[in-house]
Amino acid sequence: MKCTEERDSRDEASSATWLAFAILTSRMKQSKDPFEAALEEQEESPPDSPVGEDELNSQTPNEAQNQTDGGQNILVDDDDDDYDDLGPTIKNPSHLSSSSTPKLHSTSVNATVAAAVTNKNKEYDDDEEEENVDVELSKFPSSADPTKMAKMQAILSQFTEDQMSRYESFRRSALQKSNMRRLLVSITGSQKISLPMTIVVCGIAKMFVGELVEKARMVMTERKESGPIRPCHIREAYRILKLEGKVPKRSVQRLFR
Amino acid sequence: MSNPSPGTSSKAKVGSSQPSETSFKRKRGVFQKDLQHMMYGFGDDANPLPETVTLVEDIVVEYVTDLAHKAQDIGSKRGKLSVEDFLYLIRKDMPKLNRCTELLSMQEELKQARKAFEVDEEKLATLE
Repeated sequence: MKCTEERDSRDEASSATWLAFAILTSRMKQSKDPFEAALEEQEESPPDSPVGEDELNSQTPNEAQNQTDGGQNILVDDDDDDYDDLGPTIKNPSHLSSSSTPKLHSTSVNATVAAAVTNKNKEYDDDEEEENVDVELSKFPSSADPTKMAKMQAILSQFTEDQMSRYESFRRSALQKSNMRRLLVSITGSQKISLPMTIVVCGIAKMFVGELVEKARMVMTERKESGPIRPCHIREAYRILKLEGKVPKRSVQRLFR
Repeated sequence: MSNPSPGTSSKAKVGSSQPSETSFKRKRGVFQKDLQHMMYGFGDDANPLPETVTLVEDIVVEYVTDLAHKAQDIGSKRGKLSVEDFLYLIRKDMPKLNRCTELLSMQEELKQARKAFEVDEEKLATLE
């Protein structure tokens, strides 16, 4: 990977321009399969982009510096929760450094992944498709740590097709912001639900779903059952989460359910 | 603990003719499609059972409802509801807190990037 001098030598205008170009092209490719479009975008991207991203993320506490960097290569769409590591319990955010993944993956794997999830893509409506494409374009380092990033790429390169498709679903799935906003408005009765609030609640809800499903799987293994998760497992998982205190308790008991 | 009709005040599917802002009826299956993909990503089968998805949706809506009510209680002391109320509520849960701060910072960066994009667009327009 190229060192950071190259990135420093660019002025922010050009980096922002590249970023702008990438956003624009991503929006224009709505009709395409987002995975294919993402792969093409990855190949076009400048080679040093993951490192640029690295430095950017390593300086996340320094807000000023982040802003001057112009957010190079960060085509993060806030709608998609594609930034998480495997499982919500892992603390360090681990991101898919997708610019180097094509080099590690064989093209056949990418093609099969793209083909396998074509059915899923048809279910996305246009908004979601656009946002998904935006996210795939972003080059995510796992954290500021290049070793973590290298580890992540090493793991990802060895995924089977099944694992890759599941990981892809994990990264790309998200609750719709519009639906969440509508729900929040109906709960609070106030119209002023800001966008960050919607994003935060969507993220929290997604992690909660993760906790539920993982706990349900644990329950299933204890009971030595297999197959799709059934409602009884989810209820048991929910009960366990309540005992662990991860579910907010109602101050007023709900009487009639 | 099996409830024949789970969910908070869930009604039958409401026609989308009236704006949902004023009505408090909640459609079932709002998050169904997204939840299916999400559950698959987190470890369920490729095709989760529909009753499972419905149950998870109900649980999630209840969770968000409780969370929002608590946040409102906290926010009412300050005046209005803000993002920090939610962050305060999940302060004990490290993974969630980290994730939320990360999401917020990414959103900020994206906003900056979009602003820069518009500035560049103007520059290009004026050049031509």
